[in-house]
Amino acid sequence: MGTMDKTASGGSLIGKRVPKMDAPEKAGGKTRYIHDIDLPGQLHAKILRSGEVHAKIVSIDPGAARALPGVHAVITAADVSWQRPIGVAKDHLPLKADRVRSPRDEIAAVAAESEEIANAALKLIKVVYEPLPVVVTAEESLKPGATLVHGEDLTVLGPDGKPQVVHKASRDNVAMTFNYGQGDIAEGEAKSDVVVEDVFWLHYVTHCCMGVSGVIAEFDASENLLLYSNTQVPFLHKREFAELLGMDPGRIRIIQPPIGGGFGSKLDIYPFEPIAIYLAKITRRPVKLIFTREEEFMASPTRQPVLLKMRSGCSKDGKLTFRDVETVHDNGAYTSWGATTPFVMMQTISSLYRVPNCNYRTRAIYTNNPYAGSFRGYGNLQATFAVEAHMDKLAEAIGMDPLEFRLINAQIPGEITPQGMHFKSCGFKDCLLTAASRSDYQAKFRAARAKWKDGNQIKRGVGMASMLHVGGGAKIYPSDGCGTIIKIDDFAHVTLITGASEIGQGSETVLAQLACEELGLPLSAVSVVNSDTDIKPWDVGVHASRTTFIAGNSAVGAARKAKSKILGAAAAKFAKPIETLDLRESCVVDKAGGKKLIEIDKLIRSLHFSDKADLVMTTFYYEPPSEKQDKEFRGDVSAAYAWATQVVEVEVDTDTGIVKLLKVTGAHDVGRVINRLGIEGQVEGGVVMGQGYALTENLIVENGVIRNPNFRDYKLVTAPEIPDIDVSFIETMDGEGPQGAKGVGEAPAICIAAAVANGIYNATGVRITALPFTPENVYRALHSNSQPPTWIAAA
Amino acid sequence: MDAQLAATGRPSALAEEDITAVTTYAAPHSLAEAVALLQAGDVTVLAGGTDLMPQSKTGRARFQPLLMNIRRIPELRGIGEVEGYVRFGALTTMTELLDSAMVKTRFNALWQAADHFASDQLRNVATIGGNICNASPAGDTLVPLLVFNARVVLASETNGAVTARALPLVEFFVGPGRTQRRPNELLTAVEVPLPPGGFVSEFYKFGTRPALDIATIAIGLGAMRDGDRLRDVRIAFGAVAPTPIRAPKTEAALEGKSLPASIEAALAAAAADIQPISDLRASAWYRHELVHNVLRRMLEHVSKH
Amino acid sequence: MSASIDIAFKLNGIHVRAKVSPAMSVLEMLRDELHLTGSKYGCGEGECGACTINVDGLSVNSCLMFAADCDGREIVTIEGLVSDPRTESLKKSFVAYGAVQCGFCTPGIIMQARHLLEKTQHPTPEQIRRGIEGNLCRCTGYKKIIEAITEASAASP
Repeated sequence: MGTMDKTASGGSLIGKRVPKMDAPEKAGGKTRYIHDIDLPGQLHAKILRSGEVHAKIVSIDPGAARALPGVHAVITAADVSWQRPIGVAKDHLPLKADRVRSPRDEIAAVAAESEEIANAALKLIKVVYEPLPVVVTAEESLKPGATLVHGEDLTVLGPDGKPQVVHKASRDNVAMTFNYGQGDIAEGEAKSDVVVEDVFWLHYVTHCCMGVSGVIAEFDASENLLLYSNTQVPFLHKREFAELLGMDPGRIRIIQPPIGGGFGSKLDIYPFEPIAIYLAKITRRPVKLIFTREEEFMASPTRQPVLLKMRSGCSKDGKLTFRDVETVHDNGAYTSWGATTPFVMMQTISSLYRVPNCNYRTRAIYTNNPYAGSFRGYGNLQATFAVEAHMDKLAEAIGMDPLEFRLINAQIPGEITPQGMHFKSCGFKDCLLTAASRSDYQAKFRAARAKWKDGNQIKRGVGMASMLHVGGGAKIYPSDGCGTIIKIDDFAHVTLITGASEIGQGSETVLAQLACEELGLPLSAVSVVNSDTDIKPWDVGVHASRTTFIAGNSAVGAARKAKSKILGAAAAKFAKPIETLDLRESCVVDKAGGKKLIEIDKLIRSLHFSDKADLVMTTFYYEPPSEKQDKEFRGDVSAAYAWATQVVEVEVDTDTGIVKLLKVTGAHDVGRVINRLGIEGQVEGGVVMGQGYALTENLIVENGVIRNPNFRDYKLVTAPEIPDIDVSFIETMDGEGPQGAKGVGEAPAICIAAAVANGIYNATGVRITALPFTPENVYRALHSNSQPPTWIAAA
Repeated sequence: MDAQLAATGRPSALAEEDITAVTTYAAPHSLAEAVALLQAGDVTVLAGGTDLMPQSKTGRARFQPLLMNIRRIPELRGIGEVEGYVRFGALTTMTELLDSAMVKTRFNALWQAADHFASDQLRNVATIGGNICNASPAGDTLVPLLVFNARVVLASETNGAVTARALPLVEFFVGPGRTQRRPNELLTAVEVPLPPGGFVSEFYKFGTRPALDIATIAIGLGAMRDGDRLRDVRIAFGAVAPTPIRAPKTEAALEGKSLPASIEAALAAAAADIQPISDLRASAWYRHELVHNVLRRMLEHVSKH
Repeated sequence: MSASIDIAFKLNGIHVRAKVSPAMSVLEMLRDELHLTGSKYGCGEGECGACTINVDGLSVNSCLMFAADCDGREIVTIEGLVSDPRTESLKKSFVAYGAVQCGFCTPGIIMQARHLLEKTQHPTPEQIRRGIEGNLCRCTGYKKIIEAITEASAASP
């Protein structure tokens, strides 16, 4: 904090504190988010949600609603006979036809002249339900004879008008399974001097983006679809919407307005977007649909809740021998990305610290609960919580210092894990040592244990946890690439058109910095265009902390081509070899000595207005050198990997159970800092999100119903509660990353809860294996009035 | 389980008499005008609106045909001293309480409650009269006001003139969200006798945040010191009964007795004074534990200083 | 159908008139009737502060205020502070200190910070934290927001 680094005019921007390019507009309240956009003639849409946990739809009568003045359309599944399924497993339709499986289920939708009229119309729709037995725990769901959540095939009308099964019935309520193994568990267990086992419960939380979900859909005169959407994967969704609507994907255009937060909530298609499109199609008017905050809580995906059983072992000299993990994922009523969190979880279970033998198994189970999507960290918070609890437990069991134990098992650069991940740049040990020394971890750890029985009600402790996450994309789709188009005009103004989406993380500024570094131009010379699928090239999407790495390399590639063109023209003009030239401070210069030869804009104009007239327009598509995993989940799925270690200091009030997070000391291997301001912001924000996950946030789901769909009772962290945050960046200069940089977006959220759990143990001697650490939960654990989570008998 | 929550997850359906039932709006500029309107009947009173608006949006408020905004009535404003009482006009905001040096020194528990109230944006608008009439069992200012033996002043129109009656606050609350205010009455002020010099008061509201939380439990404590004894003891609890309450058994256990010797008996008495429920925020068991542990801490703190 | 209430008030220094329904909040009036979208809908319940405006010199959650109650009062929104020196100073600091990520909470926090600095010219970090306790941010973790407000208070007139 404090003084801003001054950039010498023309000096490198890499590593500097560079203000976000759209910040002035945002600070002035001028930015138009989707909620602020109004199209002429638009109608307002509202969705009727079932409110039933599990029921047959006996009848829907929209008659009175249709008759209300100002209502243009009321639709149910019956009005959209050509509906196609959505979601990761294609196991549901946007408008539910014969059955509802959770209270958020979409039954009908209204498009009207105003929100007020649309809301009034909802109340006039008469629905008759026949309640069905509910299953609200995975345990219930797995019992023989349990009510089946998807007991019938999902059938829709195919393009040929004939019935088509799009999702087969699940006869046992199992939605998905994952199995991974490396080495030999039995052998690993036999080699162990110590084995520990726990069952962990990782709870429901939700994204709480400050901007609620919304969409605007409009068909133009030629029946092309224009969608204003906050999707984080516009090109994937373009293709999926085309399939949903039976349209040519080329006739769908997605515009991404500035977003009020993403955090992974917008990586799947949720019913409200197709529903708005149906209404736009039927009414032939633009249709705008915006959630209320209550609706956001109820109908936005959650983080994947996980019941996790882990056995792990080590030898008495401190080497990890095996990890054996089974999880049950409550899949909720329908399948979204939450079910696929095992892809990430198994990476952590198998490769966070060196462990030769490992089994990982997940079953995702249908219930009538809310369903989970992707959320910053994507299963890694849950897996790290278990791994790092056991790192402390194993160290304690063999009487070893917990830092020393971790250092023995931390990987080093060049290692290839049994899962096939190649750790080319790896700052893991540096992260451990830096975080530990800056927080005085070892001394505080010992001091806290000595005070367990001192009779003081207030206890302090420290906890350490590390994380491993992809840092160079994640090849889970046929391509993990990003395209860039650069044009530099006659005045040396750069338009950088990138496939990468901006979701508040500052990608546009980082890309501009990287381009400026190549082109020797100031940041003010760059405009970034990134929000229209008709204009920008393909990018798979903003997820997996991939944007700096992949979009960055893409931008650098296009910029280098532009530089080459400019220098080529200069070389010809000045009859000098191109290798002796460079671009600095808006000029073409002699590389050695820096003598200015000509301003870049002049050079470009001379190229443009010549007999060999040409403009500076370049393109580059960057595909990272990673692999798709094989059927056994093996493969070098990312071009780079990232680590972080966080040490937290907590204070536990044993009279009330209140846990205060006093300090977080973090060390992050980020390859290279591109924007120091931006990266600090990502870390600080991620830490506080992790704090919420650990201590304050709890989506209370009881009998299939969300009990606290509001900020009054779902507690986000507020300003007075934040810890002191000390962050160090370990710059391992990744060989493939742009300027050496790797991804960091998810990392800071991932290990906080794990560290806090270890901190509470260090402070009190009580290990709590279920989140959240709310005051009552902690109090109960401290006073022996709670049960640790139990594994499911039927599992 | 919390009886207020729906058995199923049905999204909020508007109550029968929702705000579309309002056909007239009035913003009187005098108390006489206001009570005349109330006398005519069928009025919903609007002050700061910080409770009424969210209740309106979620359908929990039932509206009468006349919505009467009392914010422009000068007789409802101001903090003043009258014959040994401090009179807080019903429209006194939490911020006005916080800005008052007199409140901070003479009614410290009330000042602390205002400091722990919601947020600055809400403190600027929420009124003491609204807090009292909303009568939440967890209402922030209600616990200290009970400690200070406050009384409410209710005005109405009788034979064309403004009349008023006073009622001890401890009798004013009937149940959650229910008070003794008659439909034709307006709460105009809360009056609090000036405590004797040397009167100490403390307020505790449980939460993980300084403010913004609805109390899981709240404790107010007031007393005169007499050596190591406490006299004129007042203990009040919030969020552990259908209304905010005084705690007679706890007070009896402390009255005239020495600290810290009397603490154990006081804690046992407190367990009998309260009847907490289990709801979304906490279980009854945990509320009992909190009251026990926090009251002990507060009394130990008083006994040491 | 419900009543229609005539109101006249000052908005960002300009005298305006409006017709509002009893149910309408000030936030709804600003956004839907007057097309001033700088104040945001974050929750509609006074918990997040994204809708913060200034009424008669005090910062309030516009989602909780009945539009009818604007009558005779002075309302200032983020749009009205374009030339306000204290707000300009805050905006500059927010930009320079990286206190803006998605930016959705930003107008509300700047409104609240401006009010805080009007009351307390040089607040401590603790006072700042308490001062913005009613404003939620999901992106920044608040640290840079607090730094930016501290900086603006030092630079303030």
